Amino acid sequence: MFLRILKKDIKRKKTMNIIMLVFIILASMFVASGLNNVITIANGTNYFFDQAGLGDYIAARKGSGSSTEAFDDILPTIGEIKSYRVDEVIFATKETVETEKGEQAKFDNTMLIQSLEDSGLNYFDINDKVATIVPEGHFYSSYRFAKDNNLKSGDKMIVKSNDVRLNLTFDGTLKDALFGSDMLNNVRLFLSRTDYTNLRDNGVSEPGMIGEFAYIDTDDVAAVDVALTKKCPTLMLNRPRATIESAYFMNMVLAFVTLILSVCLIIVSFVILRFTITFTITEEYREIGVMKAIGIRDIKIKSLYLTKYLVIAVLGSLIGFGVSFPFSKLLLGSVTKMMVLGNGLGIIPNIIGSLLVVLSILGFAYLATGVVKKATPVDAIRKGQTGERFKKKSKLKLSKSRINSITFMACNDVLSNKKKYIAVASVFALCTAFVLVMTNTVNTMKGDGLIDSFSARSDLYYTDQDKQMSFMHEGGNEEIKEYMTKVENDLTDMGMPGHIFVDAQYIFKITSNDNEYSISCQQGIGSTIDMYTFTQGTAPQNMYEIAITPTISSKINAHIGDTVTVDYGTGPVQTTVTAYYQTMNWMGEVIRIHESAPTNLKNCTSWMAFQINFTDHPSANTIKERKQKLIEYLGGKEVQLPNEYQADCIGVVPTMETVQISLLAITLVVVTLVVVLMERSFIIDEKNEIAILKAVGFKDRRIILYHMIRFGIATLVAVIFAGAISIPLTYATIGPIFLSMGMSTMKFIIDPLSVFVMYPLIILAAALLIAFITSLITKTIKSSDTASIE
Amino acid sequence: MNIIEANNLCKTYIVDKRQNNVLKNVNLRVEKGEMVGIMGPSGSGKSTLLYCISGMDKITSGEVIFDHKDISQLSKNELSELRLNKMGFIFQQMFMMKNLSILDNILLPSVESKKETISRKEKLAKAEALMRKLGIIEIADNDINEVSGGQLQRACIARSMINNPDILFADEPTGALNRQSSKEVMDELCKLNDEGTTIMMVTHDAKVAARCTRILYIVDGQIAGEYKFANNKLEQKEKERLLNTWLMDMGW
Repeated sequence: MFLRILKKDIKRKKTMNIIMLVFIILASMFVASGLNNVITIANGTNYFFDQAGLGDYIAARKGSGSSTEAFDDILPTIGEIKSYRVDEVIFATKETVETEKGEQAKFDNTMLIQSLEDSGLNYFDINDKVATIVPEGHFYSSYRFAKDNNLKSGDKMIVKSNDVRLNLTFDGTLKDALFGSDMLNNVRLFLSRTDYTNLRDNGVSEPGMIGEFAYIDTDDVAAVDVALTKKCPTLMLNRPRATIESAYFMNMVLAFVTLILSVCLIIVSFVILRFTITFTITEEYREIGVMKAIGIRDIKIKSLYLTKYLVIAVLGSLIGFGVSFPFSKLLLGSVTKMMVLGNGLGIIPNIIGSLLVVLSILGFAYLATGVVKKATPVDAIRKGQTGERFKKKSKLKLSKSRINSITFMACNDVLSNKKKYIAVASVFALCTAFVLVMTNTVNTMKGDGLIDSFSARSDLYYTDQDKQMSFMHEGGNEEIKEYMTKVENDLTDMGMPGHIFVDAQYIFKITSNDNEYSISCQQGIGSTIDMYTFTQGTAPQNMYEIAITPTISSKINAHIGDTVTVDYGTGPVQTTVTAYYQTMNWMGEVIRIHESAPTNLKNCTSWMAFQINFTDHPSANTIKERKQKLIEYLGGKEVQLPNEYQADCIGVVPTMETVQISLLAITLVVVTLVVVLMERSFIIDEKNEIAILKAVGFKDRRIILYHMIRFGIATLVAVIFAGAISIPLTYATIGPIFLSMGMSTMKFIIDPLSVFVMYPLIILAAALLIAFITSLITKTIKSSDTASIE
Repeated sequence: MNIIEANNLCKTYIVDKRQNNVLKNVNLRVEKGEMVGIMGPSGSGKSTLLYCISGMDKITSGEVIFDHKDISQLSKNELSELRLNKMGFIFQQMFMMKNLSILDNILLPSVESKKETISRKEKLAKAEALMRKLGIIEIADNDINEVSGGQLQRACIARSMINNPDILFADEPTGALNRQSSKEVMDELCKLNDEGTTIMMVTHDAKVAARCTRILYIVDGQIAGEYKFANNKLEQKEKERLLNTWLMDMGW
């Protein structure tokens, strides 16, 4: 008997049941994939680093494994080191790698070429499996290199150095835990042992072109740092795992966006489910009353509805569970291109997520069917959809209003059903706010407001790796000065007089409070200290004064006025900290030293770009023209404007732009889902009202407009609210990320047009368009339907 | 003068591939100021006739002339205009917008209409006057769930009258009301008719029908007969007796 009632019910209320099923499928999909993503992202970089064997401390040095002071000689002598793995690499420039057509390969910074078979670190293929072998004549690369050079499997590349010329076939990309982030973005080529040995033994002329990376396991990072600083003079990089982790912040932003999105979608699902169940049960009140009136026991009536929802919930959750896997993959897709993300729980979070949805539906249904127990048969019948209500509904007075009838009705509906529309508006506001936060972040990154945090502000920037590497030897200081003078003369001859300078980076031994550290130091060549920005104190005036970042201040426990010993390579020098400054170079772990400090370029570890300040104060357009001239002068080398150089240094601008567009797309999808499903429910609920409006002479288009305005109001409120909170929200959410990257004071660039006009309008227009399309169905309701309404 | 006329009006429904001829060549003329009752057994096509001649439902063939136009040829928008400005409707179920007060429900068609170029204030005064006339002014600010069925139906009458329609269509307006409320509602409809409003009304109740000037009896989609009181000034009880006699002859 009950089964027959159930079957009939499911058939009779087909549309509402289908809407319910769609909601449950979406909820199950969102919750199951969301839960999995939350756990995966929470594991984040740790999971990746553990799988890769990155260790607790990472060090790099110049020189091969067979040279003296090799890691294999030094590391076993440090007691705190439990174990370690080493990668030997060849440092290569753009001239080393070219395409089949003879074009230079595209990549930033120095490339690392190594033998995959002898890797210390684990590198992962596209399926997250550890790659251990590459056939002779073939190669793998970092994802970024393949992307920048548009490489597909089977494409050819040529690696050449001195007499060696390797014709290699591209086999795919590998995920690299050390350089997988957007901030530490050196690229790697992985060759077979034979090809690598050939290149190293016959193609490398300078010992400085070979280096070693060590991945060290230890419980005492500080002790290893101190010991290694003492024992390894050729150290060129030494960072604890936490620093590498912080380089992933921007990548993790993308992951956290996915996480926030998942949480958002979970909230949307539950809000809508709650609404739908309450709504559908309200529809059943009359039937409940009738059943009670004919003497069916409460428990039986309740179980009837609970069985119905259980059937729909199980069916929907099963479908949602199945779809959650590809959906999860889709959400994490952009992050997993460069990272191995995962958790050891497999499909368990998805199962729990789907079960949670089933239980929630039963819970909501149980609460909503509370009326069965509470109400008398008469109450239930009276409370029915077309029966009596005991709550004041009308909030506004048409008689006192000046607006037209449909706008009035729309406003009145929204105010009369605040809970419903607040739920809709909250979901829209949340999604919009994230879009706007990302817009502020991208605009800030794409502008040139952060350029001071990398180097001094200049008119143009250019990188010439080969030239810069050629200065990294004894006597390089003189050569670079000659080079810069020549460039300046040439620029004057070309009618664009300018001053040229560059920042060189070293790793020097620093002693503070009796502790030794190896810290990156940045020194201008050709510049004067007053060209750089300092946040507190006075700029260093000589080699005995230095400026430090807040990050270094807390690391070495030194403040303005404190004495710190710096070994410029010529012996310890007592220096005073005279200023603080902020930089995103090495996540803020840098010291700025005066241009007169006695450094030698043979100790240089890396470079910033050459910078040009034109002395004739040209206009922005002239600078753009000069950029082209400079490209020609430099033989096609990359020349950048300040904003381009800033974006290049930050490295994650394209990723963040992708996040921004993805968030907008997801917001539009959420808006579409919510509007379609809510509007369909509203139309079912309001069928008699629509019919009566038509009967009294309201035209179809007016009714459609009436329905659109309701969603328009909810969306407008949402975007206004999102716009209002977007700026503080940007500082609250993205500010700390920049802080961890070295920016102690951050000023975001807010573009009012995009934040307060463009994106809100796009979202509003989408909501109105979807509401319009969905409400077209009201056309099928006829005025004569008033005769057939129950 | 005819206000509305139907010529060879047919209405057919197709249900499960079966043709159901609900109205068969109905010819009908209603004069201005008349109050016409439509009676007949259940399923005879009374309501369908009302909806077809009012343009609420599409006809299968024939024509319906209202205001010198064949309304079966009008577009949906033109029909909406007609319903808004020249026709009034009252239904058995007292449908109203649940989020609006009684007064606002009555005022709504007037605000939507551009027939009269009067201010919102004047429209409000008109709605209040109508409510006063129908004896429901005290429930003006109430929600629809706060009033009785009789009051609600009178509010529906007020809503139907707000734009001064030429004709009022009522589908069993007293069907859901008790005896006292029925009487009150009919008193109001009769008053409106006395003031010149043409009314067409479907009813099952002979007492209600006896207050009309002419009664049509529909059987199986056709007008089987029509009754007109020889003397309209007869006592109500006498009218009811005469009508009942006629109805019995018709097979009621």
